[in-house]
Amino acid sequence: MNRRSILTATLVLIAGALAPAILAAAADPAAVINNLGNRALEVLGKNATPAQRVARFHELFREDFDVPGIARFVLGRYWKTATPEQQDEFTKLFEDYIALVYSSQLSAYSGETLKVTGSRADPEGAIVASEILRPSGAPPVKVEWHLTDQHGAYKIRDVAVDGISMAVTQRSEFASVIQRNGGQVQGLIAMLREKTGTASSR
Amino acid sequence: MNLRPLRLVFSNLVLPLILLLSGCAISSNNAQPGAAETEDFNDPLEDTNRAIFDFNQKVDRNVLVPVAEAYRTVLPELVRDSLRDFLRNLRAPLIFANNALQGDFELAGQTFARFTLNSTLGVGGLIDVAGRWGQLPYHEQDLGVTFGVWGIPEGPYLVVPVLGPSDPRDLVGQFGEGYGDPFNLLVTGNPYTLYWIPFVRGGVSGIDQRSRYIETLADIERTSLDYYATIRSLYRQRRAALVRGQRENLPPPASFSRNDNPTMAVGHRPQTAMASERPFASGITW
Repeated sequence: MNRRSILTATLVLIAGALAPAILAAAADPAAVINNLGNRALEVLGKNATPAQRVARFHELFREDFDVPGIARFVLGRYWKTATPEQQDEFTKLFEDYIALVYSSQLSAYSGETLKVTGSRADPEGAIVASEILRPSGAPPVKVEWHLTDQHGAYKIRDVAVDGISMAVTQRSEFASVIQRNGGQVQGLIAMLREKTGTASSR
Repeated sequence: MNLRPLRLVFSNLVLPLILLLSGCAISSNNAQPGAAETEDFNDPLEDTNRAIFDFNQKVDRNVLVPVAEAYRTVLPELVRDSLRDFLRNLRAPLIFANNALQGDFELAGQTFARFTLNSTLGVGGLIDVAGRWGQLPYHEQDLGVTFGVWGIPEGPYLVVPVLGPSDPRDLVGQFGEGYGDPFNLLVTGNPYTLYWIPFVRGGVSGIDQRSRYIETLADIERTSLDYYATIRSLYRQRRAALVRGQRENLPPPASFSRNDNPTMAVGHRPQTAMASERPFASGITW
């Protein structure tokens, strides 16, 4: 047991005694995901309007995800060719786009519960395995959360559903869009503007 | 009378096509070793693929989805699930063969037990007794995955008319299964010679599967910037995950090395996923 895990254990103990949700979430990757799962259920409550879903998803995404890191990853090698202004605009648009895509896809969920089944260390932080249990009795969906350790706070950097990485999928799609626009990041930015602008107004 | 015409079509048309396509990919890969200038989608036939993809989309919108919706409306869930379980049970001999070819005899035993239980207690497969009460869930398995486990690379991305996303490895696997399927051989052989059965089976199976993804796929199409590229990535990652999951489940001393990993589709981050059709606990110690 190294100093770090002793510290973690201590923190978890304190957390257990004092403020379970908040402190535990900061120290234990599994708790981060558990916590996220519980809050996500509120976000995706059946009563929420699509606009509310998008707004709440934004909050969750900013709090629990390493948004700048993910934005950089999904742009791949085009990140370096983009100007600082493009990088900034891309990061903002990407966040809007993700909120749009996933709040829409997750709206199909109701009555599901997230069960953390394990966690292990990873060079970049931690990987938490979970299952989404479905009320229909259908086989659970296996979801893996890849977290990065940012000064003691765990942030999600990727989500893998049944072995399919969301970050890799997004990166592949964006690279294809850029290539079909003559290698110009601006082409992707224009499409993201259009998608988030038009789609969020429905 | 027999399958000879089909076989002729296969050997004279499809096989050379596959070989040609694999050849294309190999030569284009050699032409630019480690080309970092463009993201490597391994999709040398992208223009053709996109054209076929558009055609498939039209078929999907105008034929498959309406039929799948009708199927879902007309038949109650219980009936549809029974039908799916029945079709899955018909696949059991093939799955068993694949388990064995992969060297996974434990899983082969489970498949055998599933088949026995479901064919008898489960009334010919209509009720998934083994999955529901016997802790023996259905697992996806096919010849393409077996080839992958053996270390055969997937090759370039292909979109096949009507059948959809594929690659030479999976396409050969699909044809191989079509010909080697014990059930199909039985019903088309003497004395039955019922050639329509494999077609009906394939059609119903396709409609059933499509009916389970109507909303999911519509949503992905609506929100994606490049639907073709998204499907391409999803397909390859899914296939790679099946192969990887199966390799992780195998006992170490096999006739192939577990360390080489030629089948990573995108290859960005191998540790990203480790999905398999079996519980996490079986492969990894937490």
